[in-house]
Amino acid sequence: MLEVSLKKTLGKFTLQSSFTADKGVLGILGASGCGKSMTLKCISGLQTPDEGSIRLNGALLFSSESKVNIPSRERNIGYVFQNYALFPHLTVKQNIAYGMKHFEKSQRAQKVTHMIEKMQLKGLEHHYPSQLSGGQQQRTALARTLITEPDLLFLDEPFSALDSHIKYLLEKELMKIIKENFNGIVLLVTHNIEEAYRICDQIMIMDDGQNLQLGPKEDIISKPINLTTARITGCKNILDVSILEEHKDYLLLKSNALIFKAANNQIPLSDSMLAGIRAHHLRLYSEKSHKDNVFDCEIMEKIEGVFSTTIIVNCGGNVLQLEIAKASCPHISESNNNKIKLHIPMKHVFLMENEL
Amino acid sequence: MNNVNLFPLYLSFRVAFTATLISFLFGLPVAYFLSRGRGKAVDFVDTLTNLPVVLPPTVLGYYLLVLLGRQSPIGAFLENNFDIRIVFTPTGAIIASTVVSIPYLIKASKTAFLEINEDYLNAARLLGRGELNIFITVVMPIAWRGIVAGLTMSFVRALGDFGTTLMVSGSIPNKTMTMPIAIYDALQAGNKEMANLLVLIMTSIAIIVLFTISQLERKMKKG
Repeated sequence: MLEVSLKKTLGKFTLQSSFTADKGVLGILGASGCGKSMTLKCISGLQTPDEGSIRLNGALLFSSESKVNIPSRERNIGYVFQNYALFPHLTVKQNIAYGMKHFEKSQRAQKVTHMIEKMQLKGLEHHYPSQLSGGQQQRTALARTLITEPDLLFLDEPFSALDSHIKYLLEKELMKIIKENFNGIVLLVTHNIEEAYRICDQIMIMDDGQNLQLGPKEDIISKPINLTTARITGCKNILDVSILEEHKDYLLLKSNALIFKAANNQIPLSDSMLAGIRAHHLRLYSEKSHKDNVFDCEIMEKIEGVFSTTIIVNCGGNVLQLEIAKASCPHISESNNNKIKLHIPMKHVFLMENEL
Repeated sequence: MNNVNLFPLYLSFRVAFTATLISFLFGLPVAYFLSRGRGKAVDFVDTLTNLPVVLPPTVLGYYLLVLLGRQSPIGAFLENNFDIRIVFTPTGAIIASTVVSIPYLIKASKTAFLEINEDYLNAARLLGRGELNIFITVVMPIAWRGIVAGLTMSFVRALGDFGTTLMVSGSIPNKTMTMPIAIYDALQAGNKEMANLLVLIMTSIAIIVLFTISQLERKMKKG
């Protein structure tokens, strides 16, 4: 169990973060410069917070109040850096053995050999980091960290240094290795919502030094609490709405000339709210399945992607973006008709407090 | 070869080696401090360490005389308590050479230290190593070429110092007369044989050193 509550000011930037994390993978998601890496640096002791406390499995690592500040070298935290930070003058084997000073000499060689096998680095023991591929460097960095048996594992943008075509494969492989060899708290920093969703159990959204929302990844996607979290999680359609009617299982919302229904999720309502709906949740109307929430729209722009088509429509004075898989709707790309019927699935509309 | 006295050669090497050693011991920590620190104090020290490069040698010599002369508090203290005299002694020559040559070591080492990504140090810290241990096992092995380049530069600079050394330790034959001063002296006395030999030696050393540095720099770029 990791309990963090900290404040750190650097120039005009203030990081203010408090959260707890348990076993499993917690993804910290946010744009670059939002304080993700700074949070990891504070927890690992590479930066000293101005205020707050950090507790790991009951042990106090930092507290401004009782003046506790355990040095990084004694915190037992494993940290895989963005560019892996493998020592360039040491071989794979020497890199992996670097953090084993506190193990008995007789154990070291055996542990290193064992780890090299587990990480599929056999045959590369005497190579230098510059002679390794991106994936091999990553595994070496992970091996160097895991061999010290850390209580906490940090992965700082672990896949951003890799080519995109091998990223997905390595991502799967790396997470498999981690799950097999590490049974503790993992904190993963990323700016990629897809990556966070694939890898993590929980997601924490950060923006401008603040953590905005933390929860199971499904909740983060289906119920963002405000505009910023909706945007960071990739929501393209956000409407200013007023609430016309409140029913037991649905709400009647109005935005410009568009009046539509949304599922009632029992959140507190106010006069001015925002409604969000993700681009891939919007549907083209088909007679068979949709009765409610169907609207005539005018196509403003069609953007052809490789596997999906993005359509921007005007729907009762609102600009909406929908994303449709090409395979499911091949005719839409070819048709010249600029009118479509749009279905807004009630259950995918989420309401948020309007902060302004 | 009767006109040739090799004492200046011997003294110059002794002075230059000692000065380089002192530069290494004091300059390296300073360079590391300058490479890792930030703020006004660091900038001030940085400026101070570069001063000997731009100041005229006579000005430096003057400062050293004021600071370490027999009338100065430090000079008097050393003479009364330890019987150490600095002015007009080889010790003075060593101090003068150190002051003029240490900036080159600091500058080259600082550049080499600055090129080390902070994440290497952070990784080592999180792997349980202390700062001194990290300096020896990570910083030095990565920066050694830059440090060696700095050492050689500062060695040649110490070997070739004329003005400051002359101001502080004078030109007493067989006591404080170093090579550059001996060349001047030989020329004045019309001893061409001596002057030619010493000039040849100095030139050869300079060429060897420059070649070594360029080799190191090329390897440094390759990584």
